[in-house]
Amino acid sequence: MPITMGLLLALSFVVSLLALAFLIWAIATRQFALDRAHAATVFGKGGADGPDTDGTHLFDTTGIDKVSARPVRLLILGAIFWLVLGSVFGVIASLKLHWPDWLNMAAPLTFGRMRALHLNLVAYGWLSQIGIACMFWILPRIFRTPLRAPHLPVIGFWLWNIAVTLGALAFARGWTDGEEWLEFPWQLDMLLVLAGVFFVVPLVKTARAREVDHIYVTGWYYLAAMVWFPALFFIANLPGIHYGVEEATVNWWFAHNVLGLWLTPLGVGAAYYFIPKIIGKPIYSYSLSLIGFWGLALFYSQVGIHHLIGGPVPTWVVTLSVVHSVMMFIPVIAVAINQHVTVARNLWAFKESLPLRFISFGAVMYTLASFQGSIEALRSVNSITHFTHYTVGHAHLGAYAFVSIVMFGAAYHIMPRMMGREFAHPGLIRLHFWLVVLGFAIYFFALTIGGTLQGLAMLDATRSFAESVILTKPYLEARSVGGTMMTLGHILFAINILGILRKPRAVAQSAVAAE
Amino acid sequence: MTRINKQKPGKIVKPGEDFEPWESHNPVPLPVIWIAVALGIWGTALLLQEQDSKVVAQAEREAGEAAAHDAAEGGAALFLANCSTCHQPNGAGVRLAVPPLQDSEFAKAGPGVVAQILLRGIDGPIRVKGFTYDGHMPSFAEALDDAEVAQLASYVGARFGGGETVLAPAEVAQLRMTHSGSGSWQGGAELASLVADLPPQPPMPATAEAGLDPAISDLIFAGKGDVWSCASCHGGLGQGAENTPRLAGLSQGYITKQLHDFRQGERHNEHMSFVAKGLDDAEIDGLAAYYAGLRVDSTAQPALGGDLARGEQIALQGDWGLGVPACFSCHGPSGFGVGAEFPALAAQQPAYVASQLAAWAGGHRNNSPLGLMDRISEALPEADRRAVSDYLASLPAVPAPEPQAMARIEGGEDEL
Repeated sequence: MPITMGLLLALSFVVSLLALAFLIWAIATRQFALDRAHAATVFGKGGADGPDTDGTHLFDTTGIDKVSARPVRLLILGAIFWLVLGSVFGVIASLKLHWPDWLNMAAPLTFGRMRALHLNLVAYGWLSQIGIACMFWILPRIFRTPLRAPHLPVIGFWLWNIAVTLGALAFARGWTDGEEWLEFPWQLDMLLVLAGVFFVVPLVKTARAREVDHIYVTGWYYLAAMVWFPALFFIANLPGIHYGVEEATVNWWFAHNVLGLWLTPLGVGAAYYFIPKIIGKPIYSYSLSLIGFWGLALFYSQVGIHHLIGGPVPTWVVTLSVVHSVMMFIPVIAVAINQHVTVARNLWAFKESLPLRFISFGAVMYTLASFQGSIEALRSVNSITHFTHYTVGHAHLGAYAFVSIVMFGAAYHIMPRMMGREFAHPGLIRLHFWLVVLGFAIYFFALTIGGTLQGLAMLDATRSFAESVILTKPYLEARSVGGTMMTLGHILFAINILGILRKPRAVAQSAVAAE
Repeated sequence: MTRINKQKPGKIVKPGEDFEPWESHNPVPLPVIWIAVALGIWGTALLLQEQDSKVVAQAEREAGEAAAHDAAEGGAALFLANCSTCHQPNGAGVRLAVPPLQDSEFAKAGPGVVAQILLRGIDGPIRVKGFTYDGHMPSFAEALDDAEVAQLASYVGARFGGGETVLAPAEVAQLRMTHSGSGSWQGGAELASLVADLPPQPPMPATAEAGLDPAISDLIFAGKGDVWSCASCHGGLGQGAENTPRLAGLSQGYITKQLHDFRQGERHNEHMSFVAKGLDDAEIDGLAAYYAGLRVDSTAQPALGGDLARGEQIALQGDWGLGVPACFSCHGPSGFGVGAEFPALAAQQPAYVASQLAAWAGGHRNNSPLGLMDRISEALPEADRRAVSDYLASLPAVPAPEPQAMARIEGGEDEL
């Protein structure tokens, strides 16, 4: 048999699978002298035999949160600002798809720029910042030591937000690098990288000073994301290196990995922490955490090229990407069992805790978005859904229903602990939850159905292209309705968070019943 | 957990703030492992299949080449494969379009002459057996090697000219050397130097460009007012590309009719409707005459992944199971085109043909005489539409009928 690309690929694929299985087996069964004992003992105290019923107050008992409070507060506020602004741009872009002549008097108001603004403001302004805020809140807690160099992230915060602001102005003026997800001009990329250094250094210092040997699974995701994302961002944004087809390949390698190796670790890490934290039970299985994490690490990096199915890239690159996309079932199932079993066995907490409602809804959406993504990567499915609104629905299932909604819950969990008081109007949180969930449901089902019909119409050569555009109109209108509901939910979210920051007029009640 | 579940509603004790999450040590559920193993096998298989498809493609290509090579052993097979679609399997040619080989002066002149025509092709008027044809024969110098040219020329000379001379490959090699770089034979006039006792041959006409009205030339190459130039989409030679049709060699009547239809909204295309509305009748006639007279090599090639064998079947025989007649039964042998109603199909851009078939099937084009193409296109499945488009693209470009011949047909005066 001649040695061809396919044979080499299949062999290296098998070897890497075996290596992965061996690695997980070795860690799980303590083949190398690590620290499983610590896993059981360090965290066992107060946890192994049920929740600690004495500590129901919201005040920080360790002094750890006090140190992280300032950067976390700033990052959450910055994130919410960009969330509201980014959603408004999103709604405008959505409306323009069925009111094409609306707001067309100036170039910055046109669809192309509105869309770039929406994408980048929610990705870098909202998701990245709120995710980093969770890192600063969670990592010191699981390392059981206060945040080191806590002034650095404050500088990082300002640099990051200046970069996003300048980026927004640049997009509005039409100055971008010209590729989806890589719109930030490389000059501003340098500012983002610099800001990133101010975020990573304190976290690494904290990790090195940790009081525990065993790192909880959230820590793996966060520490890995701190390596993955800068590497991705740097390689993809380096100007003047990639051209032509190679540029497209790098573009989609980056664009999809932003979701999988940056936003996903942020969201999964937060869910892994907050779900057991709120319920007071350990997660189901250490071995499954290993499969979930290392599976993501191995499989995800090749996933992005399925965006180029049918494109002028070597077939084997695309096939490899399709295989890796489908292999994502393995880590996703592992994470799903770990998280959902913990919630399903403690449904009382789901009813009790509003933050958990957001977070476990988001975690379920992670499972669904990933399953959908794996199936969507198959050539047979992709040939229908590619270049349709279906893909947009899928992207929002991942970035919104999963990551954003987990982050809403995280903020609702963090803020009372940071401020030492409860939310004055839990009803508004409930309203926020139902607005975004129902709004998203309308959004997602409209785009999924409309996108499928659009794809089928485009494949049918006997129907004119215009027909495939016109038939999406009612679905695009529904999408605007859903998007507007989500945006209203975000405004409520902002009101809730700003509300708890303000000192209440009445004497603060330190411990209130309902969270 | 049990303790908590037994709590009365409203008195549920929440976990302490001191609690930090940790992992318990439940084993990995077996189904997860099975799913992982199954996916691993599937992934490996898919990657290996990638390799298989290459191996299979390689084998098919080699088998195809071998088959082509084997077939080349007979002059008859070579004739069927390369000559018969135009000159017809019996060598009778097509009246007014393709000269006959049977008993022609050139076949009688022996395999040497035939080989020289094969090597260079013909581009210019030629008189064969008393009729004038607008000769446009492709060169086979690249397609056939010396041995094949020798076999084919000997076969044609023997079968249609009645001679018995057999050409040797070495002689062909020498002829190839002599004629390399000479371009096509300029019609019968140039061939007269090769063949003795040839009846008088028509002179080469002045090139189309020379007789072109400057106003029409401007339209084609520069546009007029808001109307952009023809060449900007259809190419400098009217050769077309992708979804833009080849115009070179379409009949003047057909082009005129289509432009009128675009102008009157009977054929729909945003670009062409706009362009046609900017043209007056004289300009339309001038453009149609220009493109009808252009002789341009085919730039089309199969591009839609269609099954060429199936395409050939539809073009030559139709598919009566579907109620589809042979394309060539109306559009002429080898898709030459017949009159103003049946345009030439050979060498047409495949994406254009497929899009027109789809437009008829979907009811977006309906200017076909008697709705013929509407019904035929509806009956053809999508794969067949691609197959026949690709097959037509694989045919050599068709000569435009000589203007005088057209006039004679339309005037009812036939030399026969």
